Formats: sequence, C-alpha cells, structure tokens
Amino acid sequence: MSSNDKEHLHPPAPVVDEVSDFEVLEIAVRELAIEKGLFTQEDHNQWTDYMHTLGPAPAARLVAKAWLDPEYKKVCVEDGVKASLDVGIDWVNTMPTKFGTPSDYCNLRVMEDTPTLKHVVVCTLCSCYPRPILGQSPEWYRTPNYRRRIVRWPRQVLAEFGLQLPEDVEIRVVDSNQKSRMIVLPVRPEGTEGWTEDQLAEIVTRDCLIGVAVPKPGVTANGKRPVRPAVNPYKH
Amino acid sequence: MTDINPDFIELDKQMSDRELDSSPIELLEKIKQEGRVWDELSEEYGVDNPDPPWRISLEATCDGLAGGYWAPFNICLPEEERQPVMADDNKIDSNERRWEEDKLVDQHYADVPFPERQLLALAHTMIRRGMISEDELAKHMKAVDERLHMADGLDD
Amino acid sequence: MSKPHYDREHHVKKATGIGDPQCFKGEAPAARFKVGDKVRIKDLPDLFYTRTQGYTRGAEGTISRLVYESPPAEDESWDNTENVEWFYSLVFDMQELWPNYPEAYAGDTVETEIPEHYLEAV
Repeated sequence: MSSNDKEHLHPPAPVVDEVSDFEVLEIAVRELAIEKGLFTQEDHNQWTDYMHTLGPAPAARLVAKAWLDPEYKKVCVEDGVKASLDVGIDWVNTMPTKFGTPSDYCNLRVMEDTPTLKHVVVCTLCSCYPRPILGQSPEWYRTPNYRRRIVRWPRQVLAEFGLQLPEDVEIRVVDSNQKSRMIVLPVRPEGTEGWTEDQLAEIVTRDCLIGVAVPKPGVTANGKRPVRPAVNPYKH
Repeated sequence: MTDINPDFIELDKQMSDRELDSSPIELLEKIKQEGRVWDELSEEYGVDNPDPPWRISLEATCDGLAGGYWAPFNICLPEEERQPVMADDNKIDSNERRWEEDKLVDQHYADVPFPERQLLALAHTMIRRGMISEDELAKHMKAVDERLHMADGLDD
Repeated sequence: MSKPHYDREHHVKKATGIGDPQCFKGEAPAARFKVGDKVRIKDLPDLFYTRTQGYTRGAEGTISRLVYESPPAEDESWDNTENVEWFYSLVFDMQELWPNYPEAYAGDTVETEIPEHYLEAV
C-alpha cells in the first residue's frame, strides 16, 4: 500500500495491543476456580450477560404496548415501575443487587408527550439514566455540553439532533436530579395505523426514549444503512 | 447517629482471630512489580475506556466464589436463612473478601490501582485459604499466556 | 491495625427486595403541599453536597406530582436517613429560570424533583 492510499483511510480506534500480566492472572484465576468446581461457567455467564445485554428493547416495548392499549398507558404514566413488569423489567429484583444502588434507584417515570408537549430527559448534575430499562447511556448524554445546554437552550440543542419543533409545541426538559429515572412516551406517528406491537417497538429508538428524536415509520435502530459506491475505489 | 452493625463487629473479630498468614506471595509480588496496569496501558495506547476489559469478568468471578450473586447479601437475611459464614471451604463470602482485600491492600498492594488491587487480593486470599496453590496458579498463568500469544507473528 | 467500624450495609438491609425509594414509604410526615400549589425554592446553605440545582433556587414553580418519600440527598450523602420527607415534582417556566428566554417559546418548561424542606408557599 502506498503512503498516498493510507492518507485516505480512517485510522482505526485505538486498542491496547498488549497482553498484561493482570489480564493473564484474571483468566487463570477464573479458569482454575471453574476447573475446581467452585462455580460454573454458566454462573459466570449469567452475571456478565446481565451487564452486557442491558439495552433499550424493554422501554421500546413499553411504548409500543402503551400506544396500543390506553389502559396500559394510564398505568405507565401513573406507575412506571409497575408498568415495567409487563415488559420483563422488575426495577428491584432484575438488578443483581436486588435493592437499587445509588446509580440505579427504583423509580421510573414515563413522561407522556402530546401533540403540543414534547419531553426531553437530562441529568444536569451528573448523568442519571434509567439503565435497567434503557441500557447504558450514550456518550453524548454524559457530556457537560449536553447537560448544561439542553436545560438552557433546548430548541437549539434539539435542532442539533435534527429535531426542529414548531412554535406551537411546548418543550419540557425533565431534569433527573433525584431518585426518579425518566423515559419519554412519544406520540404515535402517522403512518403506523394497523401496525403490530412488534412493528411499533422497532421504530421506538433509544433517542426517542430520551426525547431527542421522535419516532418515524422506517427509522429503526437496526435498519439497514445505505451502501454507496466508493468515490475513490481501491485499484487492484 | 447510626450505630455500628453488630454483625460487622462479629465479622471483624472472627476474621482477625484466624491469624491468616499475611506474608507476601512471591508470584503476586512479581506481577505487582512487573505487570502493567490499565491506567498505564490505556494512556500509552490512547484508549479512553476507564476500565480494563476484564473488569466485569473479575466481578463475576468474585460473585461466583460467593455462591451466586445473591450471596453478597447473605448478611441481610434472617439468621436461620443465612449460609454458614466460615464453614464452606469452597466459598468466599463477599464481606469476608472485602475485609481481606482491605487488609491485603494495606499490607502489600497499596501502590496498585483499582481494579488490579482487587484481583491481586483475590488471588492472595484464594492461595492463603488453600483453594489454589501458588505453583498451580503460576503454571496455569504460563499456559494462558502461551495461548494468548499463539497468534503472534502470524499476521505480520 | 484497626479500622473504624461502621455499618456499610444498613441501606442494603433496608432496601433489598423492596427498592429505594420504596423502602422509605410511610416514614414521612404528612405532605405540606398538594398538586397545583405554587411554591418558591429556598436558597438554603448546603455543606459540600446538594441535589437542588442552582438554577431552581429562588424560582417559583408549580407542583405537578408528589413522587415519593425519602431522606433528602443532602442528608443521605452523609448517611443520615432520619429525616424522611415528601419529594415533589415541580414545573418551572423557562422564562422564570433564565433571562431573555424568547417570548415566542414562553410555554417551554423544566420539570424536576425537589424535597419538601426546600419549598415555601408563594
């Protein structure tokens, strides 16, 4: 490869390209413990899986169900913890700790949007986030940039996310400063009439649940991205 | 003000009374001196993840040794439902492990950052309790090290 | 060597299987305010820790919900859980909080939670 080709490539994200003695020690201790039957590989997987598989899927399901069932929607708005049970999240017992740590208090509030009211969630003091139902927070959610500005210039910040709201829609910034964690229940978009719960859940992306986006038919987190031909294709 | 939990006074007494051998362990001393900690590696390679990739796995190992992730809160259960604190040689109760980690870090690993110190203290505890031997651990580390370097040189 | 003893687990014992803030339910004195009340946030002095944002202090808001009972974070951060009180969700007009917030968007608001001892009736 010529040096000229190199300049056109994105550098890969850095990795630690070295095995440390500590990494080896961790593996050795774990494997010996399993070998001696002190615990099983399944025990180990159960814990690590829990930490790695948290994601926005249960919250998306909650919203889809609420769109289809007005009675369930009432439960969501009244008692988010109770409503979460129907999508498989027990705020107390799903967490391995079984009581809620300071970073995962057990109170969920579901903030219902209307055609004239749009909620958006932030934690201005740190980065509180409803992890049991939404997974780990995105990097930008934790930045001082987002935390300071959304509460002061919400329309500008939402516009930066590509969400421009008309004047007749009021914005309500929800600052998650105490023991409640919040998700947004957006308005069901047009063009989804007759959809199933599965179809609806697909368009409720993480950003919709934080409130910096609104659901749109065809826009899903897992959607195929367009593939475009290279401008300067590699010459063999 | 908050009273001291009598369970913990009892735990401290039990643990102190065992007179666990507190001498250094040669293998772990060597790792302490020669091993490169995540703070150093991540800075050198420009990686911004604050935790080493094995951090969650170590937590799971500690919980596995405690007998499942419910066991750390053994001490919260009513007396009759508690698992015996010292009887089961195959388990390390989490409160005991934390107690030992505090002591071992003070004695041997005060200069090692977290979570490397947690890992050293866990290995130390397991060796002193006779759950694994120093030789056995050294041998297995060598085998793991060879396994991880099997691909070296193949993709250059 | 000896270390001071303190009960690191009392919160765990209280909250396991119940949840926090659920574990404080029923411990607060009767709520002094109700939904719809207008209140002002007192600018109380806090030692080292608070979760009552600077931007809410001195501002007037409207109570939208009584959310739960809990010790205030200002106490709990020092492991004091004796003074359980009601927490309120409050809605503030952006124009009340920030200078020069555009008139065109006068309906924009912030909603956040504040413990009772910071509130005074307007």
